[in-house]
Amino acid sequence: MKSLAKKQNNKLITSIAVAAILLLLPIILSVTGNSYSILVLGFIIIYIIAVSGLDVNFGYCGQISMGHAAYYCIGAYGSVMLHHYFGIPVIITMILASILAAVLGAIVAFPASKLVFHFLSLSTIAFAEIVYTLVLNSPGKITGNAVGMFTDPINIFGYTLRSNTAFYYFGLVVCAVFLLVKWFLVKSKIGRAWIAIRENEDAAEGMGVNVVKYKVMAFAFSAFYTGFAGAMYAHLVNYIGPDTFTMKQSVMFITMMLFGGTGSILGPIIGSMFILLMTESLRVLEQYQMLVFGVILLAVVLAFPGGILGVVKDVIKKIKLKKGGVKNVVRN
Amino acid sequence: MLFQVIVSGFVIGCVYGLIALGYSLIYKASGLMNFAQGDVLTLGCFLGYTFYTLLGLPYWLSLIITAAIAFFFGMGEERFIIRKLQNKNVLTVYVVLATISIQYILQNSIQAIWGPNMLSYPRVFPWNNVTIFGVNIQTESVFCIIMSFILMMLLQVFMNHTKFGTAMRASALDAKAAKACGINPSFATGVTWGIAAALAATAGILLGPIYGVFIMLGQTIGRKGFAAAIMGGYGNVIGAIVGGVLLGLIETMSAAYWSSTYKDMIAYGLLLIFLYVKPTGIFNEKALNR
Repeated sequence: MKSLAKKQNNKLITSIAVAAILLLLPIILSVTGNSYSILVLGFIIIYIIAVSGLDVNFGYCGQISMGHAAYYCIGAYGSVMLHHYFGIPVIITMILASILAAVLGAIVAFPASKLVFHFLSLSTIAFAEIVYTLVLNSPGKITGNAVGMFTDPINIFGYTLRSNTAFYYFGLVVCAVFLLVKWFLVKSKIGRAWIAIRENEDAAEGMGVNVVKYKVMAFAFSAFYTGFAGAMYAHLVNYIGPDTFTMKQSVMFITMMLFGGTGSILGPIIGSMFILLMTESLRVLEQYQMLVFGVILLAVVLAFPGGILGVVKDVIKKIKLKKGGVKNVVRN
Repeated sequence: MLFQVIVSGFVIGCVYGLIALGYSLIYKASGLMNFAQGDVLTLGCFLGYTFYTLLGLPYWLSLIITAAIAFFFGMGEERFIIRKLQNKNVLTVYVVLATISIQYILQNSIQAIWGPNMLSYPRVFPWNNVTIFGVNIQTESVFCIIMSFILMMLLQVFMNHTKFGTAMRASALDAKAAKACGINPSFATGVTWGIAAALAATAGILLGPIYGVFIMLGQTIGRKGFAAAIMGGYGNVIGAIVGGVLLGLIETMSAAYWSSTYKDMIAYGLLLIFLYVKPTGIFNEKALNR
């Protein structure tokens, strides 16, 4: 019992320390003159939300989607267009657009629920390409086509998030809420059903899990997360153009998810941070950025096919083996 | 007008067919999808341009050299990347990600080597047009269609009537049983990937004189090739060709008589409709639950 109390104490101390660092980070960065880094932090938060959504779909329910850029796009354009044409306040449009993304996700997932891996990924790619073509060549130019659209920052009850620092704090709260919801969700009956489907679809069906219903739910939740992230992106940079929503974006999400580790809360956080910081640091290479990115991606896939979290887990296992023998590992 | 539309539909349709053929071969041999196929087409186009225009080799020779290089590229891709990953028993999504990263590497190295500008092929044949039924058609288009059909025919003969082709089909069906018969299944799989890459590169060098040489040439074609493969029945060799030609015709017809901006959407729409309604394709290929 004593050790349990100590463990909980330790956990409390770590979480307080993490929270303090997260809250103080923009202040530290602005004092040291790295204001661009605060924008990068905002992007990291956006990606964490989007990738967490994708992880609900793939990591828990086992359904691949290679077209999540479509929901990112629907969230972004939906929010911007609702604000632009109907004058609805931004924070409400963000939620409405994410709901729209979720509904479309469900509509796509319903007939796709019987498809297996490769063919599911093809259908999601096709959907994403259709959304991209529609945004690029919209009837009556309502999306601004290739020119894109300008928009306003987020406004919460009269307070406008003009600076990147303000956005960072807003994003931190939103991100915490989204991660908490995800945590409760995967621990609930729904999450158990998802995991059952991931492990063995036939067995899940045999146990009375409504496979189609839960697959559609996973897609809808996932699309909601990614859609909201898209809306956040739109109102952070205050401009959207179709180039952001190509298949490259979907591949970016998948890469982040796989590198952090799937089926966990922490995985998408680590993956998003790692991959985004990497692409940011490769920016100095300009036109060779994607080339180097591809080479690194390939090398990492070949060397550590389990993602970063997999490597860390392996290392921890090895250390424990050395320290306490087999018993310790088994107990953990 | 109609006849010219049909011919250009056949040209792009044959290219889709060659790409889809590669997809089918790879899917049968390894149970995988290769997203780099379209960019091998681009590579073939640029290599052919280099041999033919910059080095001044004859067209037929540059075609053969390009196909040979692509063949070894495909074999190497399978041998050093795909096989390594499959031996590690990783999730399929990592293999897919590996082919996507190969796609990035190809696309960006082509840009680094040849530059971002569009290049134009000089004429391949001394005469500009051939007249069929009183209509003038670009010679290269006719050549592209004829060559594609010859290639498909050769592949059929190779797969069904030669010893090595039979060995390839056997190892695709059951690697263990093939091994027991003295076939080397890993070599056969490698050759399959090589043939798929060579087909794509040849499609590139055939398409170059008609569409021009640019970096994004293969990406969309590669992605739409999936639609062709699905339409014919994924994994079916004849289905790939029929699906490709059908897709090319539908796309060109709709671009000519309806709207060219939504041309791409038609291919993806067809892909979705087929996947949802008839995932086994026109030829009812039952490879889906692999």
